[in-house]
Amino acid sequence: MKYFLYGGCSLEAGGKNYMVSLEPVCKALGMEFEEIEDWNCCGASISYAGANELSIMTLNARNIAIAESTGGYDIVAPCSSCYIQLVKTNHELKEDAELRNKINVILKEGNLNFKGSLNVRHLMDVLYNDGGIDKIKSTAVRPLKGLKVAGYVGCQTVRPYGEYDSVERPKVHDLLLKAIGADPVPFPKKMQCCGSGIFLTELDRCLGLVKEILDDAIANGAQLISTVCPMCALNLEMYQDKVNAKFGTNFNMPVVYLTQLMAVAFGMDLKKEAALDYCVIPPEGIIKAAIGG
Amino acid sequence: MAGNYDPSFAKEVFDNVDSGEEIKMCMQCGICAGSCPLRHEMDYPPRQIFTLIRAGRRDEVMNSKAIKLCTSCYRCKVRCPRGIPVIDVMHGLAHYGIKKGIIPRKGTAAFGGEFWKMIYNIGRIDEKTLPLKYNLLEGLVPGIKSTIEMAPMGIQMFLHHRMKLLPERKIKGIKELRKMLDKAKEMGKGGAN
Repeated sequence: MKYFLYGGCSLEAGGKNYMVSLEPVCKALGMEFEEIEDWNCCGASISYAGANELSIMTLNARNIAIAESTGGYDIVAPCSSCYIQLVKTNHELKEDAELRNKINVILKEGNLNFKGSLNVRHLMDVLYNDGGIDKIKSTAVRPLKGLKVAGYVGCQTVRPYGEYDSVERPKVHDLLLKAIGADPVPFPKKMQCCGSGIFLTELDRCLGLVKEILDDAIANGAQLISTVCPMCALNLEMYQDKVNAKFGTNFNMPVVYLTQLMAVAFGMDLKKEAALDYCVIPPEGIIKAAIGG
Repeated sequence: MAGNYDPSFAKEVFDNVDSGEEIKMCMQCGICAGSCPLRHEMDYPPRQIFTLIRAGRRDEVMNSKAIKLCTSCYRCKVRCPRGIPVIDVMHGLAHYGIKKGIIPRKGTAAFGGEFWKMIYNIGRIDEKTLPLKYNLLEGLVPGIKSTIEMAPMGIQMFLHHRMKLLPERKIKGIKELRKMLDKAKEMGKGGAN
C-alpha cells in the first residue's frame, strides 16, 4: 500500500531514530511512502503565540493540498503534534464549507486548492489497521520475549477524534508491543502529557510531569519506555538528568520509539535499522538480553 | 466580587478571539479544570476564565497566567460534555493578549513568537537554532549563560546523530507561503491588529 509520509521537522533532527527505524519496518509490512513535495512545518503546539487560528490552519491546508495535487493516498504522520494539526485541519475543512472557501481564497495565493479527498492518519493507526497484528507477529522473527515495556501513548497521539483508538483508554500501543513479543506493563500515566512545546519555557513545571510518568513506569516494573512521538521521546529521555537534580531521584530509563523495537523484533540490524545507538540512555543491554544476543 | 464590571468584554471576546464565541456553551461543570495536567499551577482554570469573561472582568482574564500555560494535550477538548474546544479558546485568548501587548508569561510568548517567525522566514523549524535564538532574546550575557546550561544536551544529541548539521534551508515555495500567511492574518478573526 502506498502513502504520503509527512515526517515533519523533528524526524529529520531530534527524532531521527524514529525515521530511520520506521522506514524499514513499514517496508517489511508492505508499505511504500512518498514524501509530500516541499512540505512546510505544521505549526506544532506553540505557534498560537505568533499567529491566529487561520494562519496555523493554512500551514496544514497547504501540505494537504500539495498532497492532493500529486496523488490519492492517505497521509501518514508519525509525529503526534504533526498528526493532530493535520487531522484537525482536514476534519474541520471537510465539515465546514464556509471555512473551506476561506482557506481556498488563501491557498490561491500559491495556486493550491483544498478538496478534502484524503485522510490523515497516525503511523500507529496504519501499523495496527493496515499492517495488522497477524502480519506483525509473523514478521517478528526475533520476538522481544519478556521485555517489560511501558507503552507511552502521549496525549495528542489519539486525539482529538479518537479515530483509531480510545481517547481515554487507548490499547493499540500495547497490542503492537504484544505482537512483537514484548510484555507491556500496566501504565496509568500512559496518556499524561509530558509538557510538550512549553517544556523549555516552563521547565520547573514540566519536570514534575516527566517525573510522574517515569515514577509510574518504574513502579509497574518497566525496563524501558516506548513512544510514538518525537516530542514525548525528547522530553522523557533528555530531561532525566534535570529531573534527578531537582527531585533527588536516580532515573536512567531508556526511551525508544515503538518502531525501533519493531525493527529489532523483525530481525533487523540493531544500529543501521533499529538505530539503537541514537538513544542517549543506552537500551542495547536490556534489548539484547530479551532477544538472547 | 467588587471591581469594574465591563459588559462589553464578552462581546469583545466573541468578536475578536479565535473560538471565543464557543464559551457561550459552557455550563460550568469544571471537567476542563479537573482534566488539565497543570491545573494546580493555574490562577484561574478554564472554567473560571469563562465565567470571568461573562462577568466582564477583562483585567483578570487578560493578565491571567493560566492562558499561556497550556501544554496542548487536548484532554479538556475531548472531555468537554458541551463540545467546547477549550484548548482553542485558551490559545485564542493567549494570542489576543499578545497582540494587545499583555504578556504575563514572557518566556512562552517569546519562544512561540520565535517559533512562528522561523516558520514565516523559512517554512520549517530548525531545532538547533531555535533554542539559541530564544536564549539570546534575554540579552547576550544571560543568553550565553542559558546556552551553556543547555549545551550538554545539545552535545549528547549531536553525538547520537540527532542534530541536523546543515542549516535548514528555505522551502521552495516560501514566497507563496508568506503570501498565504499574510492573507490568513488579514482574514482572521478581528483582523490583523
